[in-house]
Amino acid sequence: MLVATAFIVALVGVLLGVWWTPFLAGAAIGIVVGRPAAAIPLGGLSGVMSWLLPLAAIDVRYGLGPTATSVAAIMGFDHQGALPVVVSLVVGGLLGLTGAWVACAGRALVRPEPR
Amino acid sequence: MRVRSVLNVVAALIVSGAVLYVAFFPTGPLPALGPAFNPTTGAWTMAADAVITDRSLSLPGLQQPVSVVFESNGTAHITAQTDSDLFIATGYVHARFRLFQMDLMRRQGAGRLSEIVGKAALDSDTFELQLGLLRTAQAEWNALPAGDPTRDALVAYARGVNDWIKEAESAHQLDAMFTLLGYQPQPWTPIDSLVIKGDMTQTLNFTDTPLVMALLNKSLGADLASEWFPILPPNQQSPYDPGPYSKEAPAPIQTASAVSALDDQGASALYARLAALPQGLIAQGGDSNNWAVAGTKSASGGAMLAGDPHLHLTLPAIWFQMTQDSPSYHSSGVAIPGTPGVLIGHNEHIAWSLTDAQNQQTFFYVEKEDAARPGMYFWNGTWTPYTTVSYDIPVLGEAPRHLTVKMSVHGPVISERGQTTSVWWAGNIPSQDLTVLLNINRASSWTAFRDALRGWFSPTHNFVYADDKGNIGLISAGYYPQLPAAAQPWLPMPGTGEDDVTGTIPYDDIPQAYDPPDGIIWSANQRQVTASYPYYIGTASNFFDPGYRANEIHRVLSQPGKLTAQDMQHLQTDTRDFLASEIVPVLLHSLSTRQLNSKESAAVALLQAWDYNMGVDSKAATVWWFFWQEYLHETFAPWWTSRHVKVSIGEVLDTLGQDLEAWTLNDPANRTFSAPGVGARTAAETMLAAFRLTVSKLAANHMNVAWGQVHGRVLDNLADISGLSYGPRAERGDANTPLAAGGMPSDHGPSWRMVVDWGTKTFEGVYPGGQSGNPASSWYTNRVDTWWAGGLDPMLTAQAAASSTGARTWSLKP
Repeated sequence: MLVATAFIVALVGVLLGVWWTPFLAGAAIGIVVGRPAAAIPLGGLSGVMSWLLPLAAIDVRYGLGPTATSVAAIMGFDHQGALPVVVSLVVGGLLGLTGAWVACAGRALVRPEPR
Repeated sequence: MRVRSVLNVVAALIVSGAVLYVAFFPTGPLPALGPAFNPTTGAWTMAADAVITDRSLSLPGLQQPVSVVFESNGTAHITAQTDSDLFIATGYVHARFRLFQMDLMRRQGAGRLSEIVGKAALDSDTFELQLGLLRTAQAEWNALPAGDPTRDALVAYARGVNDWIKEAESAHQLDAMFTLLGYQPQPWTPIDSLVIKGDMTQTLNFTDTPLVMALLNKSLGADLASEWFPILPPNQQSPYDPGPYSKEAPAPIQTASAVSALDDQGASALYARLAALPQGLIAQGGDSNNWAVAGTKSASGGAMLAGDPHLHLTLPAIWFQMTQDSPSYHSSGVAIPGTPGVLIGHNEHIAWSLTDAQNQQTFFYVEKEDAARPGMYFWNGTWTPYTTVSYDIPVLGEAPRHLTVKMSVHGPVISERGQTTSVWWAGNIPSQDLTVLLNINRASSWTAFRDALRGWFSPTHNFVYADDKGNIGLISAGYYPQLPAAAQPWLPMPGTGEDDVTGTIPYDDIPQAYDPPDGIIWSANQRQVTASYPYYIGTASNFFDPGYRANEIHRVLSQPGKLTAQDMQHLQTDTRDFLASEIVPVLLHSLSTRQLNSKESAAVALLQAWDYNMGVDSKAATVWWFFWQEYLHETFAPWWTSRHVKVSIGEVLDTLGQDLEAWTLNDPANRTFSAPGVGARTAAETMLAAFRLTVSKLAANHMNVAWGQVHGRVLDNLADISGLSYGPRAERGDANTPLAAGGMPSDHGPSWRMVVDWGTKTFEGVYPGGQSGNPASSWYTNRVDTWWAGGLDPMLTAQAAASSTGARTWSLKP
C-alpha cells in the first residue's frame, strides 16, 4: 500500500511539473521496504512508470511520433525517435532507483538487518 | 559488515549525486536531463503545442473581443475592433508560433547570443554591438512621441507577445528550444521589434564591398581592377526607369587610383574579420523579383502584381502569413515575426511587394590618428575625440566580456588592426520604417503609397505597386548617399572630412516610374537606371545584380498580347537562363569548326537541342552550368594566381561574369583572355579549353547527369539543427533564372511568392515552410510541396477563412 502511495505521489508530482519526485518516491520505497533486492527495482519501476504514464497520455492525446523524431533530431540522432523516449524513461527510472538505493543504504547503516 | 554498509552508502550517494547532477545541470553539450526530458514540462510539450484547436481565452490588455481564425494551412486572420487590439493579438499570435525565432533574431541584433550559446557567438555579438543595431533601435524608439500610432502599435504588439510568454510559462508551453537550451525568454519590448527590423536592414545592405575592392585594387592593379570592376555594368541590362532624368549626368568618376600598402593591410584585416562572421550579417547580393502589369496589358483588365523576395530559406521561415482587420487596417500578406504589420501584401485597394535596390549604403573611412593624441582622430582640420559607449556581453558559463565601442563622426570604429576604420552605414540612421509600413498598409492610391515611402531610408527597396484602378508603379525608396565628386566610395576613404557623405539624392530624383507607356514594370535587383542617370548609386561590383533575371522577366513581359495571373505564376518559376541563351549559341558556333571527341560531340548535341531551361531532368543544363564555371576560371584564375589576389574568386564571380559575357559577345580579343602563363588567347580558344575541361571532368566524375542530380535546394533550420532542415531536394533553376536557385545546394530563393490580379480580384501566395516553428507541428513544413511545385494558395479574407474547411477559431476576450 505504501509503495503504491509513493508511486502515486511520484506520478502526481511529475504531472505537476515537479519532475524529480520519483527520487523522493524511490527513497520512500527504500525506507519502507528496506530490502535492497526488492526496494531498488521497485523504486526504479516507480520512476519509470511515473514518467511513462504521462508520456503515454501525450501519445494518446496528441501523438508522440513527430515530437520524438524532432527531439531526436535536436539531439543529433536524426530519425531515431525511440531514443528520446528511452532517455526519458531511463532518467525517470534512475531517479527512482537511486532514491531507493540511497534510502536502503542509509536504512541499513542506521538499522542493520538482523543476521 | 559495518564497513560494507558504509561503502554501500558512499556508493549510493556518489551514484545518486551523479544522477541528480546530470538531471539538474547541463553537462557538456547535454542539457539538464530532468527539465529537458520530463514529460510534463520538458521537450515533450511540443506534442501538445503542435495541436491547434478552437479556443476561448482572456488576453490582458484587450479592449474588445478579437477573433483569430486559422485556415487549415495555418494562415491567421485577426479581426479586431480597435487598432490597439489588432496589434496585441498579432503579437500574441506571432509569439505563440514563433517565439524562439523572435528571441534568436532580437538576440542576434542586440549582441546577446553568447548568453545562450556561449563564447562561440562572441565574434558575432561583438560585431553587432560595434555596428550598432541596438543603439539605432533605441534612438528610433526615443524619437517616437507619445501618442504616435507606431509607438502605440509597438507597445500593443509587445504586450501581446508578453501575454503569450506569461501564459506559456505558467502552462509549461514555452517552445521546447528554450527548455533544451535551459533559459527563459525575457519580456518583449518595442525596441526588440526595432532591432529585428535592423537585422533585416543589415542582412540586405551592410556590405564589405569597398574592402573587397581595396584588396582587388592592390593585387590586380588599378587598371585591371577598374576594367573588371567598373562603375557601370559592362553587359546589356534592363533598367526599369529609362529616364529622362532631372539632372545632367556628372563627369565620369575616375576609378583608376592606387591603394597604398597601409590601406591594403587595414582592409585585409577587416575583410578577414567580416568574412568570418556568420551567414546573414553581411549582405551578399540579393535575388528578388517583382513586377506589375497595367490594366491595359492584362487579360482581366485590372492591374496585376507579382512579387517573390529571395532570402535565406529557413525553417521556420522568415515570414508569417496573416490578415489584419481593424478600423484602420485591412491588410493581407506576410509579416516578419517580431514586427507588427504586413510587409508584403495587399489591402482593399493596393498591392505591393519589394526587392532589394542594392545601391551603396555602406562606406568605410580610414581615420587619421596620432600616437601623441590617443583617443582622437583628425577630421575637418581639428583633432576630435572619439565618443565611446560600453557594453558587458554575457557569456554562457563564463564571465561577461566588456566591450568599449569607439565612434567617429562617420560611425562606429569596427577595426583597429593595421589602421582604424570606421563605417558609415545608412542602417545606422534612425529611420521610422515601421511608420512607413503602417502608412503603406493604410494607403489607397499611388500618391499615398509614394508619400508614405518618403520616410523609408534603409534598406533601399524597389517597391512595386498595383491598384484596383489599373495603375502600376515602382519606386526605389531609401537613402542614396552622395559624396564629393573627387571621392571614391567604392574603396575605403580618408576620414579627414573631404570625402564625407554630403546628402542623398532628392526623393523626386530617385529611380521611379508610374504607369509606363508599355504597361509593364519590373525589378530584380538590377541597376534601376541607365548610364545617363546623373547620380552615383553604386558600382557594378557586388552591389547590383548582373541583370539576367531582370532581362528574362522583361523579355517575357514585353512579348505581344495580354498577360494573365497564370502567366505571372509561370514567370515566377521560369527557369530559362538568360545568360545561357546568349552564350551557348556563341559557344556552339565556336565549337563547330573544332575537332571534338565523342564525349565532346555528345555534349554539343545536348546543348544544340537545349531550350536554356535549367530543368531538373536536363543534362544540357548540367553541361552549361559547369562549362560557365570552367570558362570563368579558365579566364580569371591564372590572373588570381599570378597576382596573389587575397579575395576569393568565388566572391566576385557575379561581376566577372558580366565582364566575360560582354567580352564573349562583343570583345572576343580582350586582353584578359591572354592570362599570365597561358599565352595569347581569344574568347573562342578559352571557351574551347573550358569546354574540353568541362566534358572531361564531368565524365571522370560520372556527372554526365541531369541537373537535378547535381543541384538541389535545402531549407535550413534556423537554429542550425540539420535534422530539422528540409532537403537537399532536387531543384530546377540556377543563380540566373527568375526561379533563383544559386548554390550547390541552394539555400536562398523565393521566400514568398505572391500574385495579385485586381481584375479578377484574385490574391494568391505561398512560402516554403509553415506557420509554426514547432518541428512536431504539421504546420512546420506543410507549404513546402505547394511551393516546390510552383503552386500558390488563395489568400482568403477573414470571412472566407472562417467558413473554409478545417478552420479553427480563437476567441480572445478582454
